[in-house]
Amino acid sequence: MSASSWFLAGLFLLGAAAGAADKPHPFVVGEPVPELLLPSAEDGRPRLLAEFLGSKLVLHVFASW
Amino acid sequence: MPGWHGATLQLETEGKIRTVGIIQEQHPDRARLFMQWKGMDWPIFVDALDLLEVAVVPITVFVDEHGIVRQVSPRPADLAGFVARDFAPAAASEDTANRLGLADLAALAVAVEARVPSGLEGRPDAEQAAAWKAHAQTLFLWGGADELDTAIEAFEKAVDLEPADGQARFQLGVAVRRRYDSPRRRAGDFQRAVDQWSRALGLDPNQYIWRRRIQQYGPRLAKPYPFYDWVERARAEIRTRGETPVELVAEPGAAEIASPAKSFENAKGLEEPDPGGRILRDERGFVSVEKTVVPGTVVAGGPARLHLVFRPNASIKAHWNNEAEDLEVWLEAPPGWEVDRPLIRVPNPPQPVSRETRIVEVEVRSPDSATGSVTLSAYALYYVCEDVKGTCLYRRQDIAVAVAVE
Repeated sequence: MSASSWFLAGLFLLGAAAGAADKPHPFVVGEPVPELLLPSAEDGRPRLLAEFLGSKLVLHVFASW
Repeated sequence: MPGWHGATLQLETEGKIRTVGIIQEQHPDRARLFMQWKGMDWPIFVDALDLLEVAVVPITVFVDEHGIVRQVSPRPADLAGFVARDFAPAAASEDTANRLGLADLAALAVAVEARVPSGLEGRPDAEQAAAWKAHAQTLFLWGGADELDTAIEAFEKAVDLEPADGQARFQLGVAVRRRYDSPRRRAGDFQRAVDQWSRALGLDPNQYIWRRRIQQYGPRLAKPYPFYDWVERARAEIRTRGETPVELVAEPGAAEIASPAKSFENAKGLEEPDPGGRILRDERGFVSVEKTVVPGTVVAGGPARLHLVFRPNASIKAHWNNEAEDLEVWLEAPPGWEVDRPLIRVPNPPQPVSRETRIVEVEVRSPDSATGSVTLSAYALYYVCEDVKGTCLYRRQDIAVAVAVE
C-alpha cells in the first residue's frame, strides 16, 4: 500500500502495534505531534492539525462523558 | 476541559496560543452540545475510530510553534511557562516533506472512489488486513452515509484476515453502531457492534476507550458514572441563554443516562400481567422486537443490560393505540438469575395513535454457576392497530433473549 494511501486513511505512524498498557497515547515529549487528518465536528470536512501549527497549541483529547 | 478553558481564554484572545480538541466519542454531536453548553468554541476534530490510539481521556498536550510536543498532561499552572518560553526548532520539524499537506485533501475523493485496495494479490494476510483496515477507515471518515455499508464490509475483511486485531474490531463496532443510528440500520447492528467491542476489549483489556464504549450502553452494576446525564440540563441552560441547542442524531438511551448502582432493585410484589398466556399472540407481526445484550458475553456472576427495541411494522402501517394499556414487558428470570425489575411499563404518549420506536431496557445478573448460552424468557403486551382506521388489537409477543456466559 502506498505511503500516501496510509496518510489518506488518517493513520498515525506509531511503529509496531502495542497494547494500551504499553502506550496509552501517541504523544512523546520532544517528538513531532502526530499528523492528523480528521473530520471537523462542525461540518464533517477534513481538517489538518498542520493548519494550527505555527502557534503554540493546547491540544485536548477528550470526551463529553 | 472547562477548567482549561478559563485558563486559556485570555491567551487565545491575545493570540498567544490556539486550542484544538479531539473528541473520542461514538456520537460526536454530543460533544458539540457539550461545547456549546460550556461556551467553548475552539475547533474540534472527530476521532470516532480512535485512530489516535489513546487508551484514556482526557489528555492535554502542549505543542510548540514548531509542532513539537513539549508537555503531556500538564497542569493549568504550567501554561504561563509554556507560553513564555521560546522553543528552538527540533531537527525533525525542519523536514516538512513527509507531513500531511493540503494537497492530500484533494486526493481524498480518489481514495474513497477506489472500491477495493489495490496491489494485494499474493501479499501476506497481515498486510492485506492492514490495507483493508486502512481502506475501511478512509471510507468511514470520508465516504459519508453512502459508503458506510462498504466501510463495514472492508472492516469485516480486515478482521477475517487478522482476527486478533483489536483496533479493527473496535472500529468495525463503531461503524456498525453508526449504521444502527442511521436510516440504513439493519437488524442486529447494535448487537454486532457490542459483540465486536467485547472481542476487541478481550484482546486488549487496558483499552479504556473501548471499555467505556461498552459501559456506555451496559448495566448499571458495571457502570463507572452516568455518561450523558448532563444533556437535558445543558439543553435547558442553552435555551435560557436564548440559543438553540445542537441537534443530536441519536438521543441518549436510558443506559447512557443511568447512574451506577451497587445492587439491583429486585422489585417485589409486581404482578405478572398474563401468567396463563391467554392473550393472543401477535402472529401478524404488527410490532418487531430487536434484542441486544450488553456486554455481548456476560461473565458468570456478572450483570447484563438487555435492550428491547419495539418498532411498529411500517409495511402494514401498524401503529400504537395509545388510548388503552401501556406497553408492558415481563421478564422471567431463570433459576439463579436476578432481574432488576421484572415488569416494565412504557407510558403511552398523549396522542391517540403514534408510530415511534419504543425501547425497554432491563438488567439481569447471572449466577456464579452460569455457563454457556442461557435463554431468558420475556413477553410484551401492547395495543396496536393496523392502518389508520384499521383493526386495533391487544396482543402479546413472546421474546427469547439468548445470553452468552463465559
